[in-house]
Amino acid sequence: MSVVAHLPRRAPAVSVAAEALPPELELTGRRAMSPEDRRTAATIFQEFRADPRHHEFVLGCLNCGECTTGCPAARFYDFSPREMLQIAAVGDATTLWDGMQEKIWACCQCYTCNMRCRFGNDIAGIISVMRELSVRHGLESTRKVLAPFNRSLTLLMTVGTQVASDMIQPDFFKDWGPFAAAGEKAWAADAELLRRAIPIDVLQTTTSSWEVSVQTSLELFRIYEETGVLDMLRGLDPDLTEMLIDIIDERREEFEEARGRYRAEIEKMRGPVATFTG
Amino acid sequence: MNPVLVLGGGPAGLSAAAELAALGAPVLLVEKAEYLGGNPKRWHYSLLAPDLTPAEEVMGPLLRRVEDTDLIERRLRSTVTRAEPRDRGFRVELSGPESSGWREVSSVILATGFDHFDSRRKYEYGYGRYPALIDFKEFEGMIHDDRLTRPSDGALPKRIAWLLCVGSRDVQVGNPWCCRMGCAVSIKQAVEVRQKHPEIDAYVYYMDIRTYGLWEDLYWKSMNQYGVKFVRGRIGQITQAEGGKRLVATGEDTLLSRPTEVPFDMIVLASGMEPGTGTKDAAQIFGLHVGPEGFLTPKLSDLNPVDSGRPGIFLAGAATGPKAIPDSVTEGMGAALRAYKYARD
Repeated sequence: MSVVAHLPRRAPAVSVAAEALPPELELTGRRAMSPEDRRTAATIFQEFRADPRHHEFVLGCLNCGECTTGCPAARFYDFSPREMLQIAAVGDATTLWDGMQEKIWACCQCYTCNMRCRFGNDIAGIISVMRELSVRHGLESTRKVLAPFNRSLTLLMTVGTQVASDMIQPDFFKDWGPFAAAGEKAWAADAELLRRAIPIDVLQTTTSSWEVSVQTSLELFRIYEETGVLDMLRGLDPDLTEMLIDIIDERREEFEEARGRYRAEIEKMRGPVATFTG
Repeated sequence: MNPVLVLGGGPAGLSAAAELAALGAPVLLVEKAEYLGGNPKRWHYSLLAPDLTPAEEVMGPLLRRVEDTDLIERRLRSTVTRAEPRDRGFRVELSGPESSGWREVSSVILATGFDHFDSRRKYEYGYGRYPALIDFKEFEGMIHDDRLTRPSDGALPKRIAWLLCVGSRDVQVGNPWCCRMGCAVSIKQAVEVRQKHPEIDAYVYYMDIRTYGLWEDLYWKSMNQYGVKFVRGRIGQITQAEGGKRLVATGEDTLLSRPTEVPFDMIVLASGMEPGTGTKDAAQIFGLHVGPEGFLTPKLSDLNPVDSGRPGIFLAGAATGPKAIPDSVTEGMGAALRAYKYARD
């Protein structure tokens, strides 16, 4: 059973005065927030704390900082997994709201923080819960951060992956993998330079890996529809959502057509076959 | 009276044996190493926290009390391999170079102690691979003999870091408990370094400082008298620099919320305390309960911390959990009294 499907959907935006909020959700220090934002922040906080994953992922924190030490994002951005866990564990609605703006998107979900954490917290996991909520509630900052990734998203939604196994071709990464030491030392010395000489098409074009069968593609999309992922995306980018639905509708027709043809062929050869329920 | 078996010749065992002898009871003291004195002797402990008393001044008199009496039969390089309860007391099988075979004992004191955590298990630090990375039990011997040289080139280090809680308070290595000693001993080492070589910079990386009770004085003194510097945050990974000459400690200064990368000539790891192999073996041989951490557990830890719950078997020292030398000595005394009473009745 998907957790996603059972979380409340985004409520219609109605302006509610801050006074109407229950006291534990009273937002402090954010007088400049619009009533809509205040309301969204309070709802997000409530949903976040009620999420069963919150209790599983956030156990406690000694604030030792080892997560931040290993974090590749912390080296380049004003980002700290320790801070994110603090926000998740003890932050109020306003703090959570602040953390859920650009910051959550600095994480590269490599899970090194989890490996390092001596308390056993799932830090990368709780960050992904925050991301999910920010998408579900269509935060303006999330929209901006994710806008450049529409191409990736389209592939993910229609094909299920945006990285193909033949994108990293062994010829250009001879210094990687278990056989790296076997006679490729000379190459490895100039690897940096040689890699820069790889024609960009070679890296990005694949011949087979993105060719997912139509049936798989449709099943995948059905999952997105049923679990609410599509609704989540609609809140964030209605145009992209409509485009995806168009693509999939076309494929559905294509699939039905192919199925009809296939059935007719088989019936011609062997008589009626068992009905496929796709 | 049959002798009281004291298993383990560290501070707790020595204290128990000496106390029993003072009461006039015969003692069979069994120690698996070839010397008495336990971990303090094994690792050449230097000064002891918190009063900076030389370890010899504590262990010396204790050893003399054990060695200067005929009532204590000392069996080194020996272990107990089997034990059987009798109507009163036990029958135990000894194994060692001097005497093997079964012995009758009136009661048993288990003072089997602890082992230091093997820092290699925290692989991201690189202990065992980097010569300039030192475990604090080895560092004790280094400051004791004033061999404060950088392993890479023999030069006097300019900057030393201590990293607390290595193998303690860490579920990744299965040791969620606090070792109680790491803070005080590390601070003590930093003070000792600054006493001998004020030109060396000493940094302590910590997540909490647990110099509990009156030991807090050492923590304060280390700052206001000896200029030891404290950074709140852990070093999460260590790399070598300058061809292995120095180490670079990467961590987060959690008070400033900033990543830090600092070169050090030497980094000392405060490795935690684990139940000793002798403690695990003793639990099995005497059929005793061990807690989730692997230490022996007294039946009533509040009311009678030296009573195993099995008649005639008593516990003392770090066999029941991380403990300082004074606490181990005290428990040795308590266990001696209980064992004496049991043997006499």
